[in-house]
Amino acid sequence: MNVLIIEDETALARELEIFLTNYNYVCEVCFDGISASEKIATSLYDFILIDLGLPDYDGLDLLREAKKHDPEAACIILTARAEINDRIKGLDLGADDYLPKPFSLLELQSRMQAIVRRKFGVKNNIVELGGFLIDLTARTISYYNSVINTITKKEFDLIAYLILHKNRTLTRMQLSEHIWGSVVINDYDSNYIDAHIKNIRKKLNAFAPPDWLETVRGLGYKIKINA
Amino acid sequence: MKLGTKLTLFNAISKLVIVILFVLLLPVLIKNISRNYVDSQLIKQKNKLLQIVKSRGIETYIENGEAYGSYLPLKEEYISLDEVDPDYYLDTIKRGKRLFSEGDTLEYRILSHTFKIKNKNYLLEIGKSVDTLDETSAPLQNIAFQVLLGMILLTVLADQVYSTYVLKPLRLIIKTKLVGQKFPNFNSYRKVRTTTSDFEHLDISIHNMIETIADKFHKEREFISNASHELMTPISILQSKIENMFEEEDINDDVKTRLLEMQRILNRLKSITKTLLLISQIENDQFLKEDTASVAGLLQDVYDEISIRLQDKDISYEMTVPVNWQFVNINKFLLFNLFFNLVNNAIKYNNQGGNINITGVQVHDKYVISVTDTGIGIEADVIPLIFNRFKKLRQALQQDSFGLGLPIVKSIALFHDIEIDVISEKGVGTTFKLILPGTLIIVQ
Repeated sequence: MNVLIIEDETALARELEIFLTNYNYVCEVCFDGISASEKIATSLYDFILIDLGLPDYDGLDLLREAKKHDPEAACIILTARAEINDRIKGLDLGADDYLPKPFSLLELQSRMQAIVRRKFGVKNNIVELGGFLIDLTARTISYYNSVINTITKKEFDLIAYLILHKNRTLTRMQLSEHIWGSVVINDYDSNYIDAHIKNIRKKLNAFAPPDWLETVRGLGYKIKINA
Repeated sequence: MKLGTKLTLFNAISKLVIVILFVLLLPVLIKNISRNYVDSQLIKQKNKLLQIVKSRGIETYIENGEAYGSYLPLKEEYISLDEVDPDYYLDTIKRGKRLFSEGDTLEYRILSHTFKIKNKNYLLEIGKSVDTLDETSAPLQNIAFQVLLGMILLTVLADQVYSTYVLKPLRLIIKTKLVGQKFPNFNSYRKVRTTTSDFEHLDISIHNMIETIADKFHKEREFISNASHELMTPISILQSKIENMFEEEDINDDVKTRLLEMQRILNRLKSITKTLLLISQIENDQFLKEDTASVAGLLQDVYDEISIRLQDKDISYEMTVPVNWQFVNINKFLLFNLFFNLVNNAIKYNNQGGNINITGVQVHDKYVISVTDTGIGIEADVIPLIFNRFKKLRQALQQDSFGLGLPIVKSIALFHDIEIDVISEKGVGTTFKLILPGTLIIVQ
């Protein structure tokens, strides 16, 4: 899929490019609004990532142009100015999502995946892991024919996030940011992730040992799926 | 007491004291005046009589050595002239009683004077009754008192009217500049019209002070807002770089552990910055208060979010809030964060196996939601400081906190006009009482 990255901070634009390329996206990068405007007018993209704080251009104008020339493209707004007015304005103008800086690249990827699923109406999104069937759309886990209903919302969020970033070690920090991102916490203690994982393992163990949920010693957790 | 009232009261009392003093002194004064007057009359009469004696001879009054005496019908005045011993000498004006042949004894002011004519010594006495004088003093005192009282009332009234008029600018300054102002949202400056230079000075000084404070306040807010925003991009870059490096294949586990450490530190920086930004956004009124939410529902959400922490410390969580309570005119995101931080603190400063109790009670037209823990408690002299930014007063069992939890709570509470009351006993526990105005909750 094609992604246009519009970001005036070259260092950040580079990291976005590296990360998305690793996830098999084809990236083009613009460091200013004028060249971005040209690209939008001439090419078609699946994703356009727009930084609102461009020195030469109002990011919201770029969003308008993108919606006009390339209505199929999914636009995600990136901004350091996470004010609610911007948020409402961005979504009003047809942005598909909105990520306030600083964000995790994993979060960006998960939002892009969500947009893809929404756009293409993916209904059958079931992953099979060691006998467990994990339905990412219906948000259920079952073992053969019995649904496991002891798994809480937070626990499912963790499993789903690990599946989305399969075969990649996610640190406790990345996992806490994902599941507690909406809370402004005064302290940052990611040890609670361990407690969650312990709970998940205990609940699943009643059916079968979830060996696919790996602890990467000293670093974090990983779900291994052989493609 | 107001300045105007004080002035009027002082005026009235001081005048009353002076008048009472004057009225009390009145009899003495009258006595003095009348005595002087009578004395001068007596001296005049004496001089006149001596004149007569000189020009017409003593025989006009005294013949054959017989004493002369004369008085008015009511005996309010009398004159007597008699021959006395040659050595006798007298020249006085005194009070004295005189007995008349009819048997009356009357009190007089008496002038006694001896003089010599043809080797004979004579004593002249002229008397004026003082009874009439004494009698007039009491009614005079009465009248004077009444008249003066009337005058006092009039002047007090005049004082009141004038002081009200002259103090009006001061009242206006107090009303518009001091009382009605809610810090830090000052209204725009309106000059108070006055011809009194002191008030003009006061008005301008107050205005200048407010302006300085407001300016400093805005600058501080602006600084925090700008600083937090400006920090977001560099943090974002660092975070992305660390995340990407983490996935590089040629990085060994030792480097990965160090990257993880960097990520942890960066997260702390991010957390602080986000919190400061949130506080500054609240203080800049950048949130709407249009949400409605069930109180029990919101607290349940907090519980869901935080239950893992409760479980970790084996803390029981009890909630007795009326299910029909509904938050209105609130910002759900902010109130969620308020309760989250309060409960998080209640966990953090609690003992293993402790208890957290959340209750809701209606008190008159207000609603009180209390979060009580069975933790380590706060010392009384520290309580006023716990809402200060970056103050870590309580020794947290975990070292990751940076002292912004309660400042968030305070900012959110202030934004919603919620009052916070902290009751704590060392070693027993702490209760945070949120006193919500009636406008924030409806009972369904």
